Amino acid sequence: MKIRGVAIEDTFAEAFTMRVARVVITGRTLRWVREAALKMTGFATSVIGCKCEAGIERELPPDETPDGRPGMSVLLLTMGKDDLPVRLIERIGQTILTCPTTACFDGLPEAPDRVGVGSALRVFGDGFQGSKMVGGRRFWRIPVMEGEFLIEEKFGLQKGIGGGNFLILATSADAALAAAEAAVDAMAGLPGVVLPFPGGVVRSGSKVGARRSKGMIASTNDAYCPTLRAVTASALPESVNSVLEIVLDGVDAPAISRAMRVGIDAACRDGVVGITAGNYGGKLGPHHFHLRQIMSADGPAR
Amino acid sequence: MSDETTLTLRRALAQRVDASTVAWDALRGLDAAGIEAQEVWIEGSGRGRLGDLFQVAAVPGERIRLVGDLARLDGIGAGLAGGVLVIDGDAGWYVGQGMRGGSIEVRGRAGPQTGGALPGAKRGMTGGEIVVRGSVGPGAGTGLRRGLIAVEGDAAESAGRAMLAGSIVVFGAVGAEPGLWSKRGSVVALGAVTPPATYRYACTYRPSYLPVTLGYLKRRYGCPVTPDHLSGLYRRYSGDLAELGAGEILAWTP
Repeated sequence: MKIRGVAIEDTFAEAFTMRVARVVITGRTLRWVREAALKMTGFATSVIGCKCEAGIERELPPDETPDGRPGMSVLLLTMGKDDLPVRLIERIGQTILTCPTTACFDGLPEAPDRVGVGSALRVFGDGFQGSKMVGGRRFWRIPVMEGEFLIEEKFGLQKGIGGGNFLILATSADAALAAAEAAVDAMAGLPGVVLPFPGGVVRSGSKVGARRSKGMIASTNDAYCPTLRAVTASALPESVNSVLEIVLDGVDAPAISRAMRVGIDAACRDGVVGITAGNYGGKLGPHHFHLRQIMSADGPAR
Repeated sequence: MSDETTLTLRRALAQRVDASTVAWDALRGLDAAGIEAQEVWIEGSGRGRLGDLFQVAAVPGERIRLVGDLARLDGIGAGLAGGVLVIDGDAGWYVGQGMRGGSIEVRGRAGPQTGGALPGAKRGMTGGEIVVRGSVGPGAGTGLRRGLIAVEGDAAESAGRAMLAGSIVVFGAVGAEPGLWSKRGSVVALGAVTPPATYRYACTYRPSYLPVTLGYLKRRYGCPVTPDHLSGLYRRYSGDLAELGAGEILAWTP
């Protein structure tokens, strides 16, 4: 299969089941919402080193937020169910509670599994906090020097998927970067998906384990490193001089499939030789996203 | 065919009627005969039946509508725990007495002690929502433990007396001594208000929960919330300082 001359390899991305929460952050202006969202999703690229993965899902207009202010939704994922409330409490407590004008709401109110987040952070109020029930949902008002911080008592969590991916194989580093930027721009704001790495792009894709340091969980993906073509079992065609990876986490498989279709299509441009994906032979992750199936005419709707 | 159970007043009430004896929360599961058999207490003549006062058209569902001038019918919605009760007219004393859930909408005025506690009772309403399109009489939300009362008109004296929690939102003027003896809870005054002497001014700010509450009232009940209500500043008074002092009066500053 080729799209605008770019070969779509007959392979699949292998992804894992994770637990996901959606956090809706609102503020007086979008500037402060963005500040809070960026801080909350900082250092959350991979569970390998960050304990969670997170990203900004999309901007929310005032008529889509519980308090009628500008907002953003953030997805935060962990491998285990028990980890999720811990990471939410840590990150919301340090980045949203502290950020001027913001408030914080559950973005998965229909999810049957609920974890206490506001109910834990309320104790920062040192007994001066108060709660309000509105429409069957409880909110905590925590007094702070600026005025008041509002946070929902419980947040929904559900099964999500982490590790959807595709690799852009390009003739030059500039071409790979331009294609990756185009893919990220095309996927920006798609519901149910976040790209947890810097700018949505990974330059240091990894393989499981390591040749030299046996204790390492992951090490450089030497088969896709152009500088190692001559000294390792390279997977790169001759004309490829740079590879970038896009990693996607999401609330479900259809959301990731849709985003991959949009992103791969945007990445198929001049200077790109091929699109492939990372997997472990299908033995580790239960979710397989087959590139040619996704990009076929009867693939997911854009 | 209507999608709600309708109780239409047969004739104007000549005496006060105590309808707190009606099993309001059970009405949704009853047929017309069961609703008509509900007992009321008529001032001067004693025991009576709901069917003596109302023509009943029962439809299975969550909504019940009462039609007529019910200013002399007391205790409407007493003990309600779910569903929607709409009063197409005025209502008497003690609307939603002991209410635990569901919602009551009074499209006219409501009498004294709306959502309030009976004399001697420690707590009034413990959940649910009451929306009054007109004004309410004295003592609305007395002993309120949890829940939301919204008044689009004025609230007479002693609204939120001895509140324990919950919120009362008044779009019109608030009468004398709101929130007196309250421990917690909020009286939100979007019209004129004079806090009692036992309340102390704290600051002028934007209460973060108010846009959530007011937005909800606007979306669900069509209450006359303006953009200025949502983004405006409020003077916060803490009280009652003769009690716990964790309550508040939030006075909108246009």
